[in-house]
Amino acid sequence: MTVHAGAAARVRARPRRRLGPAALGVLGVLPALLLIAALIAYPVGYSIWLSLLDKHSFFPAERWVGLDNYVYLLRDTEFWDSLWKGVVYATGTTALQLVAGVVAALVLHQPFVGRTLVRALVLFPYMIPTIVAVIVWRWLLNETYGLVDYLLVAWGLVRQPIVWLGTEHVMTSLIGMSVWQFTPFVVISVLARLQTIPPELYEAARVDGASPWGRFRWITLPQLRAVLFVVILLRSIWMFTKFDTVWLWGEGAGAGREIRTLPVYAYMRTFTYYQAGYGAALAVVMLLMLMAATVAYFRLFWREEEAA
Amino acid sequence: MRRVTRLALYAAALGLAAQAIFPFLWMLSTSLKPPREVLATPPGLVPAAPTLDNFVRLLTETAFITYFRNSVLVAGLTVLLTTLVGAVGAYSLTRFRFPGREAVAKLILATYMFAPILIVVPIYIMARRLGIVNTHTALVLSYTSFSLPFALWLLRAFFQSIPLDLEEAALVDGAGRPRAVAYVVAPLALPGLLATAIFTFTLAWNDYIFTLILIASDELKTLPVGVQDLFAAAVVDWGLVMAAGVLITIPALAFFMAVQRHLVAGWGSGGLKG
Amino acid sequence: MRRLVAAAAGAWFVALLAVPVHAQPKTVRIWQTETEPQTLAMLNQIAADFQKVRPDIEVKIEGLAWGDLEKKLTAALAAGAPPDASHGQPITCAAFAAKGLLRPLDDLVETLGRDNLVDAFRNLCRREGRYYGVGHSPASSVFVYRKDLLAQKGLKVPRTWDELIQVADALREVKDGQVVRYGLTMTGAPLFINIGVGELLKTNNGRLFDGKGRPTLTEKPVIELLDFYKKLNRVLPPGWTGHGYLDTFANLANGKAAMLYQAYGRGVGYIEKYAAKELADPAHFAVTDKVVGPSGKTPAAQLDSEPWMVFKNARNGAEAVEFLKFFFRDDNYIRYLHTVPIHLLPITKSAYKNPKYADNPTIRKWRSWVDMQEKYFRNDWIKPILVTEWDDLQKPYLLEVMGSGILVDMVMDAVKGMASPEAASKAQKRVEELLARGGYLKK
Repeated sequence: MTVHAGAAARVRARPRRRLGPAALGVLGVLPALLLIAALIAYPVGYSIWLSLLDKHSFFPAERWVGLDNYVYLLRDTEFWDSLWKGVVYATGTTALQLVAGVVAALVLHQPFVGRTLVRALVLFPYMIPTIVAVIVWRWLLNETYGLVDYLLVAWGLVRQPIVWLGTEHVMTSLIGMSVWQFTPFVVISVLARLQTIPPELYEAARVDGASPWGRFRWITLPQLRAVLFVVILLRSIWMFTKFDTVWLWGEGAGAGREIRTLPVYAYMRTFTYYQAGYGAALAVVMLLMLMAATVAYFRLFWREEEAA
Repeated sequence: MRRVTRLALYAAALGLAAQAIFPFLWMLSTSLKPPREVLATPPGLVPAAPTLDNFVRLLTETAFITYFRNSVLVAGLTVLLTTLVGAVGAYSLTRFRFPGREAVAKLILATYMFAPILIVVPIYIMARRLGIVNTHTALVLSYTSFSLPFALWLLRAFFQSIPLDLEEAALVDGAGRPRAVAYVVAPLALPGLLATAIFTFTLAWNDYIFTLILIASDELKTLPVGVQDLFAAAVVDWGLVMAAGVLITIPALAFFMAVQRHLVAGWGSGGLKG
Repeated sequence: MRRLVAAAAGAWFVALLAVPVHAQPKTVRIWQTETEPQTLAMLNQIAADFQKVRPDIEVKIEGLAWGDLEKKLTAALAAGAPPDASHGQPITCAAFAAKGLLRPLDDLVETLGRDNLVDAFRNLCRREGRYYGVGHSPASSVFVYRKDLLAQKGLKVPRTWDELIQVADALREVKDGQVVRYGLTMTGAPLFINIGVGELLKTNNGRLFDGKGRPTLTEKPVIELLDFYKKLNRVLPPGWTGHGYLDTFANLANGKAAMLYQAYGRGVGYIEKYAAKELADPAHFAVTDKVVGPSGKTPAAQLDSEPWMVFKNARNGAEAVEFLKFFFRDDNYIRYLHTVPIHLLPITKSAYKNPKYADNPTIRKWRSWVDMQEKYFRNDWIKPILVTEWDDLQKPYLLEVMGSGILVDMVMDAVKGMASPEAASKAQKRVEELLARGGYLKK
């Protein structure tokens, strides 16, 4: 940071500048901040206000109820249930994405024939529109006419088709599908970082006789620490607020209740129960929980060197 | 490398590629099947009587081309706007000192903590007040606002990693800052800009809910909503839906393949270092 | 840099502010949920023809997938900008009418001819003697079975809930330890469970609400219904709770299932497209009466008919009604109906009697499917979703009851093994809570 400050000081010293660096800096960030503020801060503010009202989603009449919605929330068993499901989904998918992503990145970091093609293909699930991915996967996983169960039975891996989309396994299949869809983000991030690790480090370790595991544990992993810190943070937040994949996975079926995560439940309160006020309260509570979790996360794992 | 290790490596690479494109193969296969083969038992991956009929009908009987053009337009403009605003913002965050500079970086992350799905109604209300409901402008602005926080993070750390010396040398030589940025910083930042572009493109290309709420006219719809309309039709035409899926995916895939080398470099030396 | 910043800021302001609202006073915006490409094309054609007659009115037809309609209406109403006219579910129309959001359509009905509307559909969305919605076309849910497969096994068409289970059991075929055909397929989709609960309850002489609007989920017909679902769960494919509507049609068309309880006329398109060619006709895919519950006497089916609604605050409400009058003129209307022949049936007697209507190859071929639906219309055996008596449509909260998914959860609870009375009383409490919170019912 000191280097930057020095540069800034030098910039300030230039006589041709009519605007000071502070003003320039503020001007430069302003469009971004204004856009973010207008299209996100306003809606969030609106939702906070809405959460203090009793309001039907369709009809204009509204009634000030103060913190009523929040009090109601505390004893709403559906809320607690969806919170639990949301936590299971977010932690399950994030953990698996992380493991799968790091392993895949390590493989793709090795030199082999056709690496460029394989890298592009591996990133494919991230590019395909969710709606298309869900339609195809739900078809493939259907136990009466889907390809997956057909192959599993034909190859003798299972005796009876696995009911992927029924009440019992729908959370499992959803987690699997989500990991498939979002792991490429982890792969890209980790792969990129792997490329910047100085090869000398490995050479030194080899000379010292470190095993492959040892090299991974004592060189690769510490080097990945910073990138993993951010990836874990972003992916957990995004998985906890993930709506479209979860909703589309369960919308078509009564089994959807098994995957009614918090964002889905908040959505339902607003768009299918038509309780706009309560739906907004759920969203606000979700925001507060995430903020608290993030602060805790920073306190626990943030190290100064990562700031640089 | 020992032979066993190499074998394992290739097996792993093959497995990775296979799991990733397996659904795509099914999509492709179905899109080439005549209707009566689509639901055949047992399900087969290779069409017995392949036909291009689904693609022909998709391009002639539906508004697919319009949707495609809209998607390209909206995603393209979003990428341009986000990259421009994000780059200027991130550059300012790293090169100029001003109060609250550090706080900004952390605060913008907080914008991801509100479930996007519950933002659609207020966004609609705001778009309505601005008179931009049912326009691509509304979509571009929404997508930009969602991509910006991540873009700022990515680019900020990216600019931090570009040595100042080069830039200063240019400044000392009498080049103005715009020229120094254009000739010295931009080329070095290219991978980072590309990474931002791809992240933004993916977001805009895939979105369903904002288009659904903000756009009413058929001629303004984007691909995901177009596909959903096809899917919700009275008699779902699997061949048609899958052909649409294939055509949506191929350009993204091709683009991705073309730039992935730069992307990987960008994503890495940039944002995710911390 | 400064210039760059200025340009960016400028562009931002231009993008945000400089987009003016172009007032087009005579543009009628219509939202509708028939997204079949040929239906959309026909509606646009009718709109274009209308503009030839009325050059001062431009009609914009905007199609959207029906699962998305309520979401879109939510956003539009929150911003105070609904379209001029829209499809809705009958219970949506009922809620809107009760809140005074809709323009009465008596003038449209007058033009169509009060007596010309098929009798059963006059109550679709009526309040205090006024019409607030006119269905674009009615259809009834149908029970489809494979006639050939029943005949092969010498089975009689089931008439009661119990017979349905027995026949489904007998139709199941197992080869090498694998089920190759299920006797029955049903969807677990929330919408269709809501439909199923209303429809089956009606065949069991049951109801969801009493005269005062209180839920009646702990009554005997409901308990029997939940017991029935437990039995269905044993004969349906094991993943039925995860099967969408389309999955059940796939099962029927490719022979994975022999009967489909909740089907619709549009299904013939699916059968013609995907079933083996030699089977794709009503001699193999036949329709029969819905089954009757232990406490009931007559069958019942669900009425699928979105009413056209015109919003009271619509800028061009009167013009929208003018278009609808044009739309319902026999020659236009019949062209529209023929885009999905066995599903879009006439709501007017005149169209039904018009020889042009019957003059359609699909209708000729699948006549038995049309007749089955007509029979239910004639006998008044059809009711909209969650409605067991026409009076239920005066209750403005059925939409919330459906959307909350409480009835779906109740069925899922029972299917997962909870005792029926327990599942019912749990749902009863939740509905009471929902209605109390909505201010519809005192606790």
